[in-house]
Amino acid sequence: MTTNTVVSVSDLEKTYGKPNERQYTALKGLNFSVAAGEFVGIMGASGSGKTTLLNMLSTLDTPTKGNVVVNGHDVTQMRGNQLADFRAQEVGFIFQDFNLLESLTAEENIGLPLALKGTPSKVMDQAIHEVADTLSIADLLQKYPAELSGGQKQRVAAARAIVHHPAILMGDEPTGALDSTSARELLDLLTTINAQQQMSVLLVTHDPFSASFCQRILFIKDGQIGSELRRGDLDRREFYQQVLNELGTFNE
Amino acid sequence: MLGKLALAGIKNRRRDYLVLLAGLTMSAAIFYMFANLATNRAFLNANAVVSSASVIFGFGAVLLILITVVYIMYANSFLLSMRQHDYGLFMMLGATRKRVGELVFLETLILGTIATAIGVVLGLLLSKFLVGFLLNALGLHLKHLTAFYLPAIVATVVLYVGLFILASLFNLVRLTRTTVLKLLHSDELANQPKVNPVWQLIQGVLGIGLLALGYWAMAAINDLQMAAIPLALVTITIGTYLLFRATILTIIRALRHTSWAKKRLNGFLLGQLNFRVHNYTRMLTIVSLLFAMALGAITVGSGYHRQLPLMAQRTGTYSVAVHDPNAHEQKLLDRLDSAYTATYTQKRQGKTVYYNAAELKRQPVEQRAYTKTGTAKHVSRQSFKAFQKSGIKDLDFLSLALTKAGSPYAPKILSAAQFKQQAGQTITVTTVRVKNLAQDLGTLKRLNQLEMARFSHPAEMTVGNYQSYTLMLGMFGGLEFIGYFLGIAFLAMLASCLMFKILSGAPGDQRRYRMLYKVGVRYHLMRHGIAKEIGILFLIPGIMGIIDVLFGLQMFKPLMPAPMSPYQGIGLTFLIFVGLYAIYYLITLALYWRIVLPKTTDA
Repeated sequence: MTTNTVVSVSDLEKTYGKPNERQYTALKGLNFSVAAGEFVGIMGASGSGKTTLLNMLSTLDTPTKGNVVVNGHDVTQMRGNQLADFRAQEVGFIFQDFNLLESLTAEENIGLPLALKGTPSKVMDQAIHEVADTLSIADLLQKYPAELSGGQKQRVAAARAIVHHPAILMGDEPTGALDSTSARELLDLLTTINAQQQMSVLLVTHDPFSASFCQRILFIKDGQIGSELRRGDLDRREFYQQVLNELGTFNE
Repeated sequence: MLGKLALAGIKNRRRDYLVLLAGLTMSAAIFYMFANLATNRAFLNANAVVSSASVIFGFGAVLLILITVVYIMYANSFLLSMRQHDYGLFMMLGATRKRVGELVFLETLILGTIATAIGVVLGLLLSKFLVGFLLNALGLHLKHLTAFYLPAIVATVVLYVGLFILASLFNLVRLTRTTVLKLLHSDELANQPKVNPVWQLIQGVLGIGLLALGYWAMAAINDLQMAAIPLALVTITIGTYLLFRATILTIIRALRHTSWAKKRLNGFLLGQLNFRVHNYTRMLTIVSLLFAMALGAITVGSGYHRQLPLMAQRTGTYSVAVHDPNAHEQKLLDRLDSAYTATYTQKRQGKTVYYNAAELKRQPVEQRAYTKTGTAKHVSRQSFKAFQKSGIKDLDFLSLALTKAGSPYAPKILSAAQFKQQAGQTITVTTVRVKNLAQDLGTLKRLNQLEMARFSHPAEMTVGNYQSYTLMLGMFGGLEFIGYFLGIAFLAMLASCLMFKILSGAPGDQRRYRMLYKVGVRYHLMRHGIAKEIGILFLIPGIMGIIDVLFGLQMFKPLMPAPMSPYQGIGLTFLIFVGLYAIYYLITLALYWRIVLPKTTDA
């Protein structure tokens, strides 16, 4: 494994159900890697295994077979607190349904990963304000999630995901609940973060528009990688067309 | 069809329904047990010697009704929150509001009726066992106390079914007025209480003022008479509520700006508390009142239980006197933990009883000294000379030989030689002063019974402070029983109130803790967080309740005349009660952990 690989997945398998029951294999021997600073998309239809894969990568679920190495940690070997700490320190998450704690203000939500690490409050305040400026949500910090629009909520969630400078940012359909303007804004932000902070981004989506912001797209079908698309020097629009074409034939 | 759907919905959540039903049943059972005592005139008249006791009982009933009303409101809102998603779904599928309204009405009413019916039966059984158990444990004998009392059943059924009809109507109105969308997404709404510092201050001051008024009213029960209890009840309830509202929110807000709040899950904890502070203040007020009621009642009950023997022990000298003890009685006498035992030979002739001077010298008769105001002091033994002058006239000594009419024989002391020649009926009498009357009550009771069986005039034949104890028990035993009984009833009520707190808060918390889990919060941090949150919910009403009781015991001063005191020895009672409360806390915590913490496998 080279040092500039952030995620490396080998022979990943996941089977649901007990051995004596009807089993269902969601992932069938997946292999791929994400380099540092890369913006990778994972696409596939409903039931193709996208979410299962993301759960494996983020340690929310354990694989049946195979290895997942994230930033040098073999997550399949971790237990208990190690897993929690790994999620808290190495990974930033953005979920489709935001997953903001409605009892905390935006500021407190963003500060949560730092508070978990035991960061001194001064350092914490600084980090929060920095990230809030990056995402232009500085004026929303004192509000509660219930007072924010969907797009604003997702930007707060994004701030929480990157405030502690994780090795990789994972998004599970982050634009799924947003209108098209908010979605585009968020994707632009992710692109900026990716470019400026050299933070790897892994985006799981079934939306070709979102995927067109990525540099590389892996298409999953029935638990296996069906094909791969690289953006290369194409601009986003052209890449978008290419993704649409690929999708047009991929599911045939 | 809709009825079938509704039934299926209930089936799916049968666990929640079971707990709801259990809570309501428990509440109805407790109410029945209480009503059984409170409405039983014959029992009250026969046992409540002090007239204000029945007044206290009356207000206890009013208070219990108030708590029951709040309790049912609480349970009802839980029921509604459980069902509104389903009802919203029915309406979305095209059910008319009228039809859904009927369903809501029927469901609430049926649930309530079932709970009431089971509750009354349970209350009957509990009355039978608890009353029997308590009377046995306390060594009491109360007249006219039965488990089955028709007026109490009627009272319980009327109150509960009445309240459930009201609750059904309330649900009906509420559901038919809410839009379908709101019903479907009811659990996602959030509200943040606004804080106005001036208003907070006014609330705080008003709260403390009302509390002070209430505490004063309880202390001034002699002047205020009947008015004291309702006054205290209203002022303390409102005062507690206002005080909680003013202080809790302010403290949380203040803490949120400290750096402590930015450590680990502290911020989340404060956010949680802040978020639900309105629900919590109501709950905390009820719990603190119930806590105070339970603790106060048990303190008074155990106060009597502990102090009656103490007080009896301070009357007279010996605990029991046995005439001509037979082998069985001697065995029992030997079993007593005696501080002083003496045996005298009497010769009775005419109206005179003769004693042997040698015996009296060898085993002096004890005297109790009294202060000028009549308070008992220590026990002492006079010299033989002094005894001949004063001690011989003591009632305790005179009572060792009573005629059949109940008047004492005139005592006369003879020298050993004269005594030998004196004619008359020879009887020995053994007096025992025990070290601790409370400990030897069982043996003393047996001895007393045996004496009664052997002599024709039993009541006059056994004297001593065991006898005083039984007399006092007849006077105050009713109060002792009521104290324990109410204490246990309120404690049970407290438990089921907290249960609803768990149930109504858990679904929302489940979601929140799953989010925390995803974000990478360690398990033990989440456990600690929950322990702190629930701990605070237990601690605040506990402290408030103890303060309430410390002031409230003033009310019982007239009922516990000196040398008894409602405050004497309360430390141990408080300790035991707090221990019980702590066990409640641990059980609640374990339950909450199980419901709320995410399983490692589900994401």
